[in-house]
Amino acid sequence: MAILQAIGLVKRFDDHVVLNGVDLTIETGGTLVIMGPSGCGKTTLIRCLNLLERPDQGQILFHGESVLSKEIDIRLYRRKIGFVFQHFALYSHLSALDNITLALRKLQGYGREQANELARRELAYFDLSAHEHKFPAQLSGGQKQRVALARALVMQPEIVILDEPTSALDPLMSQEVSLLIKKLEARNITTVCVTHDIAFADQISQNVVFMFQGKIIAQGSVADLAKASAIPEMNWFFGKKRYE
Amino acid sequence: MNEGMPAFYGDLFEQSSLIYLGLWATIKLTVVISITGFLLGIVIFFLGLNANATVRRLVEGYKSFFIGTPLVCIIYILYYGLPALGLRLSPFEVLVLGFTLNVGAYNAGYLLTAYNGLDKSQLEAAVAQGFKSLQVYAYIILPQLLKSSTPALTNQVIYNLKDSSIAFLVQYPEFFARMQELAAGNFDFFRAYLFAAIVYLILTTVIFLFAQYIERRNHWPGRR
Repeated sequence: MAILQAIGLVKRFDDHVVLNGVDLTIETGGTLVIMGPSGCGKTTLIRCLNLLERPDQGQILFHGESVLSKEIDIRLYRRKIGFVFQHFALYSHLSALDNITLALRKLQGYGREQANELARRELAYFDLSAHEHKFPAQLSGGQKQRVALARALVMQPEIVILDEPTSALDPLMSQEVSLLIKKLEARNITTVCVTHDIAFADQISQNVVFMFQGKIIAQGSVADLAKASAIPEMNWFFGKKRYE
Repeated sequence: MNEGMPAFYGDLFEQSSLIYLGLWATIKLTVVISITGFLLGIVIFFLGLNANATVRRLVEGYKSFFIGTPLVCIIYILYYGLPALGLRLSPFEVLVLGFTLNVGAYNAGYLLTAYNGLDKSQLEAAVAQGFKSLQVYAYIILPQLLKSSTPALTNQVIYNLKDSSIAFLVQYPEFFARMQELAAGNFDFFRAYLFAAIVYLILTTVIFLFAQYIERRNHWPGRR
């Protein structure tokens, strides 16, 4: 069943068309990877999905209902979509624990004790219990990412979107991220992951869409996409990435 | 010189209750304008982030005007100019209004400088979590700005204290005015103004130490 659908999304920045009619269906459960070269529009697409950018044309349906209609409370919708930013975007004046509890306390009305308890559960889940009082500047890249993920998950979202989760990490940490994404699957959370890392994409999902110049031009497993020799841009992308 | 000493100390002792009242008036004025100027600075800074270009231009115009004009000129306009328009304010009201307008402009500038150094991805993360823009301002922006601009805001409080010495120009009986009266009585200007300078130095030191305490308390690792 489709949880989130983009239909004919168009997004322009001045004269530059970044999304040029994107159609995408995200099914409940599992992991969808959005892949493509830099500048193909994949980050803009996920920003549109979370309404951080408003598309110029097209429709976004959440459980079949348009989220672009004026009757929809955008903030309530956003709470159902966990978003993990490329550089984690943790609140630098708050400890790891407070980063996770802030939205619980201020948006969902939890008391501090109750919020702390929920946050500590997430911290334990991501092996971060020893770091709860540390501030973002005291955490490694991998720890920051896990805090960002815990911050998203504590809100019990229906979908988690990760923007380039391995770009700021070394190869070993990238392996760890793929394990984290498997953990999300185990919790039955629909995951959307943007990346241009072919090996990483192959590790986390067999459902990959390939974007090029603002359009989705193919969908399948990494192996399928790599074999799709009819599309020259994809040959270039996979060939270049493989033999560089 | 030997003749002057007893006269000065005698007068100082004699007028101590007036001087004490003056000192109290100075502290009261400094505290009030520091609070009102701080609050206005927050409002002006917030309006400066407004999406509406006209609002932003008005805020810029406001800041340029009050930073670009001498405080004493504004106070004179309010004290001597407003009665011509039928509005007469007490010296204290004139000072609070004039100082607040001036200090608010400076404080808004300090907050904007701190804001420019803020990692903006945090604001987007808060929006993505479902926070309203006012909540982003209250829970993410303001706490970080207040912490990182504590030194600049403290300096402003010190300026407020020192600048309050111009209040005698509009007949507000503050500390410096009392010291002028004392000096005029015995002509020992050196001792009178040196004494005033030492009192101001003690007060600014207290403010400085208090600010250091606040800074230490609010420090977080990685703060720029």
